Amino acid sequence: MISARRALAASLPLLSLLAACGGDGGGSSGSGGERPTVVVTYAVLGAVVSEVVGDRGEVVVLMPNGTDPHEWSPSAKDVEAMRSADLIVANGLGLESNLQDPLAEAEEAGVAVFTVADHVTVRTVEEGAEHSDTEHDDAGEEHHDHGPEDPHLWMDPLTMKEWVGPFADAMKAAGADVGAGAEQLEAALDRLNGEVEAIVEEIPAAKRTLVTGHESMGYFADRYGFRLIGAVVPSITSQAEVSAGELADLKEKIDESGVSAIYTELGTPKATVDALADDAGVTVIELSTHTLPEDGTYRSFLLDVAETIAGGLR
Amino acid sequence: MHQLVSPFLDNPFLQRSLLAGFLVAVACSVAGTFMVLRGLAFLADALAHGVLPGVAGALLLGAPGVLGAAVGAAAMIAGVNLITSRSRLSSDTAIGLLFVGMLGLGIVMVSRSSSFSGDVVGILFGEILGVSRRDLLQQAIALAVVLSIARVFARPFLLLCFDPEQADMAGWPARRLELLMLTMVTVCVVMSFQTVGTLLVFGMLLAPAGTGALLARRVPAMMAWAALLGCASVYVGLLLSYHFDLAAGAAVVVVAVGMFFVVFAVQSAQQAVSGRRADRSAVAA
Repeated sequence: MISARRALAASLPLLSLLAACGGDGGGSSGSGGERPTVVVTYAVLGAVVSEVVGDRGEVVVLMPNGTDPHEWSPSAKDVEAMRSADLIVANGLGLESNLQDPLAEAEEAGVAVFTVADHVTVRTVEEGAEHSDTEHDDAGEEHHDHGPEDPHLWMDPLTMKEWVGPFADAMKAAGADVGAGAEQLEAALDRLNGEVEAIVEEIPAAKRTLVTGHESMGYFADRYGFRLIGAVVPSITSQAEVSAGELADLKEKIDESGVSAIYTELGTPKATVDALADDAGVTVIELSTHTLPEDGTYRSFLLDVAETIAGGLR
Repeated sequence: MHQLVSPFLDNPFLQRSLLAGFLVAVACSVAGTFMVLRGLAFLADALAHGVLPGVAGALLLGAPGVLGAAVGAAAMIAGVNLITSRSRLSSDTAIGLLFVGMLGLGIVMVSRSSSFSGDVVGILFGEILGVSRRDLLQQAIALAVVLSIARVFARPFLLLCFDPEQADMAGWPARRLELLMLTMVTVCVVMSFQTVGTLLVFGMLLAPAGTGALLARRVPAMMAWAALLGCASVYVGLLLSYHFDLAAGAAVVVVAVGMFFVVFAVQSAQQAVSGRRADRSAVAA
């Protein structure tokens, strides 16, 4: 079954070439006949991929929107979808911790894998690096001298723009020309960056400080000039456990810096944050750093994040 | 000296953690001692993990997690009872079946739901650093319930542990008494999982009571030791978590189990020495 589909997939570029030759002479070459299937691991990336691909391919997202990537494991059907895909899009940097083996197997079986992190400027974590070292060893990442690499690259629209071009190339190899969609999205991401800047402008520079659930806001903070005070779980994964010492440190930092809100995320220990906020006299605000809003677009996702932050700090 | 108390004086959240830990430790010392003497540890372990689908279901439906945990625990006990009374299978088979079944069911429920906001790790390891005043009240109620059950049924429970046949003759069928004892353990698990997590509850039921059973011969003394050692491990565990940045709940469990092995090692060494001395005196005579 799988091999039959793969044979079909392999012959796809040829088919589309034939279609292009016999048809209207160029222009819409990729859309002829079978459309390639693109399997995306993560919902936020899936939203962007869908925008680029449009109706020139079928986009399947593996992790349901709103699940913590570390708490999710693939079903047999998910693994099958990966095996029979024409292209797999993964974030990389340990986000797909429960997908490492199926991903490697699919790649070995000849499925093209596009790893987003390979095509963007990856940010490394400076603060709290010593806390997150140990649990990231098992994610099989390379270690550099300057701390672990931050997988939350979707928090900055311009970082997201970096991989759109290379992704279009990968789609071409898979048999669909998505150049037009890619150009449109690049322009849209530039506009989105402007919109976020406009929202952030409303926050006085001195108040641009963030305390979050885990260290997920690095790309956003770097782009828009925020100071990261600390995180409830001082690690780039939500999986780490909280210690009394780190929590007491964070409370001290909050007291010193005069932050007025703690932003909690998916996987943040709620009761712990409530207790901390109670002691420090700050409010707790939920921030959707890993979940698409109802309309499922990347634009509303990021505007949502910016608005929530601005609302809490204004 | 300063380092031993100042973390708690400076941080109200740690004071609440300490207090909640003490309440859990005392309740568990009583329920845990009976549990250890009657040999119900495996069932209690299964209970602690078997509440997961109940909690997950409750959170999905928007019901209180405690209610879900209670339903999960009841289903677990009922299932074990049904299998042991209606088949020739031993209770460890029944417990194991329910244990993995419930745990698997919980994970399946969580993994296929996109609206799930609570997390599995949070349920298993709890949030001892996130104790609210309401949690403290709940923990105090749990303690009161456990102490009342233990007080009222002290005699039949002792008979059940040491002489089940006599309990039967005194009008206390072992099966029913055991169910009552399990209820006490369940109260500990269900009422404490949100505060300290199911893993920590089980650790507090087992380790201090086990150490107490090593140190004392009489049941009340065992319980006193268990309460003392339980509270000590809460304090030491939180202090270690503060000074060395360790996961708080896990640190408490490790200290409690560590204490057991220290006592065990010291006693074994003592026995070896006194045994050799006895040998030598036998030779001399």
